[in-house]
Amino acid sequence: MTQPFLSIKGIRKTYGQVIAVKNVTLDVAQGEFMTFLGPSGSGKSTTLYILAGFQDPTDGDILLNGQSLLSTPSHKRNIGMVFQRYTLFPHLTVGENVAFPLRIRRVGQAEIAERVSKALKLVRLEGFEDRKPALMSGGQQQRVALARALVYNPPVLLMDEPLSALDKKLREEIQFEIRRIHQETGVTILYVTHDQEEALRLSDRIAVFSQGEIDQIGTGQELYANPATHFVAGFIGDSNFINAEVLSSADGKAKLALPGGTVIDGVPMHAGKTGGKSASLLLRPERLSLSSHQVANGLAVTINDITFLGNNIEVSTRTGNGESLSVRLPFGHEAIASISRGDQAWLSFEPKSTHAFA
Amino acid sequence: MVVSATTDGGQRKIRRNGSFGYVVPALLLIAFFFIIPVLMLLMRSVLEPTPGLQNYRELLGSTTYLRVFMNTFTVAGLVTVVAVVIGFPVAWLLAIMPDKWSRLVMAIIILSMWTNLLARTYAWMVLLQRTGVVNKMLINLGIIDKPLALVNNLVGVTIGMTYIMLPFVILPLIGILKSIDPAVLRAAALCGANKRQCFTRVLLPLSLPGIASGALMVFVMSLGYYVTPALLGGTSNMMLAELVAQFVQSLVNWGMGGAAALVLLVVTLVLYAVQLKFLNPNRAR
Ligand SMILES: Nc1ncnc2c1ncn2[C@@H]1O[C@H](COP(=O)(O)OP(=O)(O)OP(=O)(O)O)[C@@H](O)[C@H]1O
Ligand SMILES: [Mg+2]
Repeated sequence: MTQPFLSIKGIRKTYGQVIAVKNVTLDVAQGEFMTFLGPSGSGKSTTLYILAGFQDPTDGDILLNGQSLLSTPSHKRNIGMVFQRYTLFPHLTVGENVAFPLRIRRVGQAEIAERVSKALKLVRLEGFEDRKPALMSGGQQQRVALARALVYNPPVLLMDEPLSALDKKLREEIQFEIRRIHQETGVTILYVTHDQEEALRLSDRIAVFSQGEIDQIGTGQELYANPATHFVAGFIGDSNFINAEVLSSADGKAKLALPGGTVIDGVPMHAGKTGGKSASLLLRPERLSLSSHQVANGLAVTINDITFLGNNIEVSTRTGNGESLSVRLPFGHEAIASISRGDQAWLSFEPKSTHAFA
Repeated sequence: MVVSATTDGGQRKIRRNGSFGYVVPALLLIAFFFIIPVLMLLMRSVLEPTPGLQNYRELLGSTTYLRVFMNTFTVAGLVTVVAVVIGFPVAWLLAIMPDKWSRLVMAIIILSMWTNLLARTYAWMVLLQRTGVVNKMLINLGIIDKPLALVNNLVGVTIGMTYIMLPFVILPLIGILKSIDPAVLRAAALCGANKRQCFTRVLLPLSLPGIASGALMVFVMSLGYYVTPALLGGTSNMMLAELVAQFVQSLVNWGMGGAAALVLLVVTLVLYAVQLKFLNPNRAR
C-alpha cells in the first residue's frame, strides 16, 4: 500500500478526568475534502487543534507524507486554518492581513503584492485591500481569513466551523465558494461542522465523530445507505427507529419480530456491544410505503397527522405500542387521497434496505 | 465598534431626554472648588508682587528652575517607562490566569491603592535605606558588598513612584488584553509567526492604545507628584510640586508658587488634549 498523505494514528487527548478525544485514526488522501461531523463536544475541534499544534495529544501520532508533525511547533507546520471566530488582525487592512504570512516568510515586496491580489481574487474580494476588517461583514471576513490561510500554499487547510456564525443563506453561498476554491486549488481540506447538510454538500468523505471517537468514515451516500452504528444512522439523513425482537441472526442478517407480530427476515444486522435480544430498527421515512389496506408483512399504524411540505408530504403515524414513525411520500401519492387523520394504515418496506442495531 | 456606537447613541439619548438642570449643582461645585481657586492662583501669579509677567519670566528663564522642570520630566518619564515595562507582563499574566487567581491578585493591587500613601512611602524608606531589608538581602546574597544608596536620590523616587503608579498601568491593560481573542494569536502562529513575532506584530499593536493611555495617565500624575519625591528623593532632584510647596510654604511667595503651579497645569492639559486627540478609544480604527 502506498503511504497515505496525512495519517492520524490513534490520537487520544485527555484533560484531567475529561476525555476530549478517545481514539481517532484516519487517513486522508492528497486533495481530499474530509469533514469531521459530530455533535457538540465530540472532539472534532480538539483533533483539529492537535493537527494545528495548539495542543499535544496524550497519545498517538500525526504523519504528513510519512513524517511526524508532533515535534514541529505550530508556526513551522505550514498548515492553514480558518477559525470559527473572526481572527483577522484588527489593526491591519485586508491586504496586510493576507500579506502577513508572506511577510513573516520574508517574501519579496513585488511577489507579496502579486500573491495577495491573487488570493483575494480567489475569494472574490478584489479591491478590498485597503479596508479594515471591522468594516467588513462576517462572511467577507471569513473569506479574507480563507485567503490568508491559502496565500502561502499550505499542504493542508483546517477549517473549524468557519460558517457557523453566518445566517443560512450566506452560509450556502460561501459553501459553494469553498467547493470552488477546493477544486481550483486542489488543497487538502479538513473541515469541522455539526451541520450534516453542510457536510454532505462539501465533502468527499465524512468522518462521523461521537464521544471522542470516529464511528464511521465514508462518502455521504455510504453513510446514508449503510450506517455502521445507531448513532450514524440517526445523524445522517432523517430516521425513524422502532424496537424489534431478534429471533435469530447469522452472517450479518437477522430475523426480527416487529411490534404487532410481523416477522421480517434478511435485515442487515449491526451487532453492538450488548448483543442482546432486542434491536433498534432503522426505517428511513422516504423508504416506507403506505397503504390504506392491509398488506402482507405490513406494520399496522394509526395516522396522526398529514403535513404538506411542497414536493413531498409527511405523514406522521403511530404504531400499536405508541412509537411514532414518520413517512415521506411524493406529492400526489395515491394513498394520500384515501387516508385521513385517525385512520388505520399499513406500512411496508424492503427488509434488506433497513438496518438493525443491537 | 458596535459597543462604542451604542454607547454614543445612549449618551445622546440621555442628553436629549434628561434635563440640564440636574447637573447644575455639580457644575457649581466644580466651579467653586476647582475653577475659582485656579483663577485666584492665576491672578496672584500675575499680580504679586507687582502686576506683570515677571514671575513667569523668572521661572522659565533661570537655569535653577529649568533644572527642576528637567528633573520633573525625567522622573515622570522614567517612572512611566519602568511602570509600563513591569506592568505589561503583569497585566498579561493576570489576563491569561484563571479568573479565580486573577481576581485575588487584583484585589491585592486595589487594596494597596487604598492604603495610605504616606504609609506606603515610609515603608519604602525603611526598605530601601542603607540598613534596610533590600540592601541587607543583596549583601547576604553576595551580590554587593557595600550598601547601595537607594533613597534620597533618583533611584528611590523611581522605585517608590513606580510602585504607586503600577496599578494605573496594569488595571486598564488587563481589560484590553482580555479582549484580545486568543484565536487571533493562534491564527498568527499558524501564519508562521514565532512567539516573538506574535508579540511584536500582533499583541503589542493591539494593546498599544491601552499602553499609551496608561502611560500618559502615569506620566501626567507623576508630573505633579509631591509626597513620594519629597520623602524618597534627594535635594538635587527636586520636582515641580516640591518647588511649588517651597515657594508657598517656606518663601511665602504666592506669585512664583502660582506661576509654577499653572505651568504644571498647562503642561498637563496639553498632554490630556493629546490623549483625547490620538488615543480616543471610541475613534473608528
Ligand atoms: N481545555 C480543555 N479543558 C478541559 N476540557 C476540554 C478542553 N477542551 C476541550 N475539552 C472537552 O473536550 C471535549 C471535546 O471538545 P471539542 O472542543 O473537541 O468538541 P467539538 O466536537 O469541537 O464540539 P463543538 O461542536 O461544540 O465545537 C468536550 O467535552 C470539552 O468540554
Ligand atoms: Mg469545536
